[in-house]
Amino acid sequence: MSRMTIRVSRFDPDSGEPARLVPYEVEVHDGARVLHALHAVHEQDPTLAYRYCCGSGQCGSCAVRVNGKPALACMTPVADGDSIEPLDLPVVRDLVVDLVPRIERIAALVPGDSSDLPDRGTVEEMKDLCDCVECGSCISVCPAVAVSDFAGPTAMRQLERLQLDPRDAGDRVVQARDDGLFNCTSCHACYEACPKEIRIMGKAIERLRAEANRRGFTLPRHREVADLVRTTGRSVVRTETPLFERIDPVIEPYGPVRGEVAFFVGCMYSMRLPRTALDAIEVLRRNGIRVVVPMAQVCCGSPLIRTGQLDDLPRLKAVNREAFAPYPIVMTMCAGCGATLKNDYEDLPFRVMDINEVLTEFGIEPPARLPLTVTYHDPCHLLRGQGISEQPRAFIRQVADLVEMPARCCGSGGGVKSGRPEVAAALGELRREAIAATGAEQVISSCPFCEFHIAGHTDLPVRNVTSLLLEAYRKKDEEAASTPAPSPDVRR
Amino acid sequence: MVENGATTSHVLVIGSGGAGVRAAIEAAGHGSVVLLSKTIAGKGGCTPMAEGGYNAVLREDDDFSLHAADTLKGGAFLNDPALVEVLVREAPERVRELVAWGAVFDVAPGGGVAQRPFGGQQRPRTCYAGDRTGHEMMVTLMDRLAATDVEVVHECAAVELLLDGGRCAGAAALDRDGDLRVFLADAVVLATGGGTQIYDISTNSASGTGDGYALGYRAGAELIDMEMVQFHPTGAIHPYDARGRLVTEAVRGEGGRLLNRLGERFMARYDPVRMELSTRDVVARAIATEILEGRGTERGGVWLDVTHLPPGQVEERLPIMLEQFLAFGVDIRNEPMEVAPTAHHIMGGLRINTDCATTVPGLFAAGECSGGVHGANRLGGNALAETQVFGRRAGRSAGLEPERHRQVTPEIDRQLDALRRRFDGYLDGEVPPHQVIKRLKLTMWRGAGIFRDREGLAAALREVEALKNERLRAATRQNLLECCTAENQCLLASLVCRAALLRPECRGAHTRRDPACELPPDRSPYGHTYLSLAREGIEEVRA
Repeated sequence: MSRMTIRVSRFDPDSGEPARLVPYEVEVHDGARVLHALHAVHEQDPTLAYRYCCGSGQCGSCAVRVNGKPALACMTPVADGDSIEPLDLPVVRDLVVDLVPRIERIAALVPGDSSDLPDRGTVEEMKDLCDCVECGSCISVCPAVAVSDFAGPTAMRQLERLQLDPRDAGDRVVQARDDGLFNCTSCHACYEACPKEIRIMGKAIERLRAEANRRGFTLPRHREVADLVRTTGRSVVRTETPLFERIDPVIEPYGPVRGEVAFFVGCMYSMRLPRTALDAIEVLRRNGIRVVVPMAQVCCGSPLIRTGQLDDLPRLKAVNREAFAPYPIVMTMCAGCGATLKNDYEDLPFRVMDINEVLTEFGIEPPARLPLTVTYHDPCHLLRGQGISEQPRAFIRQVADLVEMPARCCGSGGGVKSGRPEVAAALGELRREAIAATGAEQVISSCPFCEFHIAGHTDLPVRNVTSLLLEAYRKKDEEAASTPAPSPDVRR
Repeated sequence: MVENGATTSHVLVIGSGGAGVRAAIEAAGHGSVVLLSKTIAGKGGCTPMAEGGYNAVLREDDDFSLHAADTLKGGAFLNDPALVEVLVREAPERVRELVAWGAVFDVAPGGGVAQRPFGGQQRPRTCYAGDRTGHEMMVTLMDRLAATDVEVVHECAAVELLLDGGRCAGAAALDRDGDLRVFLADAVVLATGGGTQIYDISTNSASGTGDGYALGYRAGAELIDMEMVQFHPTGAIHPYDARGRLVTEAVRGEGGRLLNRLGERFMARYDPVRMELSTRDVVARAIATEILEGRGTERGGVWLDVTHLPPGQVEERLPIMLEQFLAFGVDIRNEPMEVAPTAHHIMGGLRINTDCATTVPGLFAAGECSGGVHGANRLGGNALAETQVFGRRAGRSAGLEPERHRQVTPEIDRQLDALRRRFDGYLDGEVPPHQVIKRLKLTMWRGAGIFRDREGLAAALREVEALKNERLRAATRQNLLECCTAENQCLLASLVCRAALLRPECRGAHTRRDPACELPPDRSPYGHTYLSLAREGIEEVRA
């Protein structure tokens, strides 16, 4: 047995008081789960309301937030200091949320002409989507649910499961479209929250969007993007002189060569935000990394995959594969491109690294400190798409004071900014509030879509992590220049 | 419909597991239906947790008589043969119906529903969806339920059946706020599932508190074979709070081996022919014996090993087992599971006929809360089949009952008043229900477990009766239900002990260390034990 203190959210709808975290000291057996600690709390204070049933992760009754993250109480080990809160859904009392209306939006199969078990292949495809225990976790973390009438990730999961099933008579693609299929920002928060680890975005939403595309339901703005990719190889139109027209194909570092990367620039950094890419190249040069830019590269295909327009994809993949084949390390600095190359390309002959990984692996020259307080916005395709979270923070902390804010999608991904601008704007406004709450002077991120979108939803400067580093290097150079005994080589 | 504060319908179904939902779907074809669920409907009961499968005769090389023979032999010939006949004949239709409604069962290499071997059966007869068969069934049933006009009342627990002129006329229930709600109907289906939460080590969900046995008994229904508690051979033993969690029979169906501390495949000593796929009563006793005789693991279990199987087979056929053990740091592809018996299923229950009618007019029962289908020991895979076959029958029978007045009569009013006084007593009580339950569970595990004798059973019964007399305390109205549930559990425990004392033989899951009769099951002079408010005893068959 061990004693521990856990904090449990208490809320009484009749009191008029907001929810508050109350500490309880409990004694639990070794290996106890959160649920067993809650039982111990309930023995002390029988007024605690919480749901549970099967105790083995199969009924989905007991989902709560453990230290902010959704988890099944019956399967999650409890630790001293844990805080237990209800899912981020309307709370009935204490840890009990109003789950039934959410579950009722999950579609039911309508028997059609066929009543036979589908063939093995179809069943195998469906099985991946059948594990859902309807715990509500994915719905509670979904940004699109928070700001729109999106039926939620698991509702989409079920529609794809039904769509695959020859026994179902419903038109699930139309239903998905009407239930907010194009509201999903592809942030993958649902997958991260799912106790059954169902990849709802890739296994349901992208497939439903592809099916919608075949049926002619693709949103006009998404179709325009696909047309643009087909005709120009790029998913955005140039608003500035593109990066490729500003640089040489091989950019040597200052000082000795410590490494080499082939730079997959991506449409946004080449066509819309080339100055940010130039900042990044300066930081790489400063740290001894040769940057090769294969000029034949085209759009990674992410805007097409996320919106279900797959026709042109094989061509893009082939062009990029060939353009980068000679290089052992391909570096991305767009979170979306990086996630796409890593997760949607098969058997690449090279290693794909995000620029934060490259700089971490090679190590960077210490920058100067800037008198700045900043916050960091986690790009979804970096955090959940590539598991990169600590590396950019480590750079930022070397330069400025970092105030954290909750990681949440800004609304720019998944084709939502173009196809559902009102959803993207609503999420952008939520970011504005979160940014303001930090008291920071600047917002740092590491994704062109996030940087571009958030810039429209905050009055603060929004900058790439490498731009911040570059500013800190320049300050370092200025300080060195003004000191009485300057180093003969300020650069390195 | 709500009239004078009471919700009325043609049929009231109590319980939202496989049997209850199936009953509601069927009854919906005959009139208005209310489905009362203690949990969020679809999440409660043991169906969504059921892992292994569903027995049905589907293939040429199998037939009804074989399934019936296996079920009767497995049940030590205590089963009601008419109920067994219904089970085996209708199980295939019901599984085909589930398939037509969209269930995603695993597919056999040649097409059709795949079937695997389960203990005590001469054919691979157990249909499955990986090891989440019950979950898949429940999802399918909830889909089907959504297409009906059934009114689902979530998180509202029946606490007493209401009687009017000797008929069951509805139920009183407590909602989430602890408010009393009244449901009146022309007929009531009890489908509340099992109750092995009266044991310290149990596979059941938290809702397995035996409410149906208690409600039925208090309403005057006769219960049979309540001593027949199945101890599943393989429950998890570690960590402490996960003790009892089901390790599905599918593990052995897929080829899992039982080994003792010495590495011996000990089933060879107990059932050299069927080995690990012997019936559950035999395997549970074998494991318990190994542990009692000092050949168990340090933690008091035995090993269940699938490391000789291809990892892909484990991943595909036993994903839940893999996930659950991984969550506790054990990768079953590389290490054996540590297991011991755990209270799993109550074979006894309300006495029903083939129409699911109980001995109380207007009251029908289906699923685990009814008795007679499984006799003295249930075959793995027969419970899910039972929920569908008898759930449908109960729904139909209830639906066919004539319409009645559905009014709160003075007689019902008196019952409601008595209930309110009971609630007032709880609010005024002294002992928190969790303390009573803790003592009850240990008492039952010690005195009415796998091995039993008169002395131990009598002592357990005395302790249970003492617990029944404790003045339970509800801290708030929302805690009234916990008191009602604790009372139900104490009553169920008492019924199990009393029935166990009535049966002086070893039969199926009921193992007496002091049997007065040692005839083999097929020559036993004893029939069902029976308990009701009116009488208690054991049927004696005179050849």
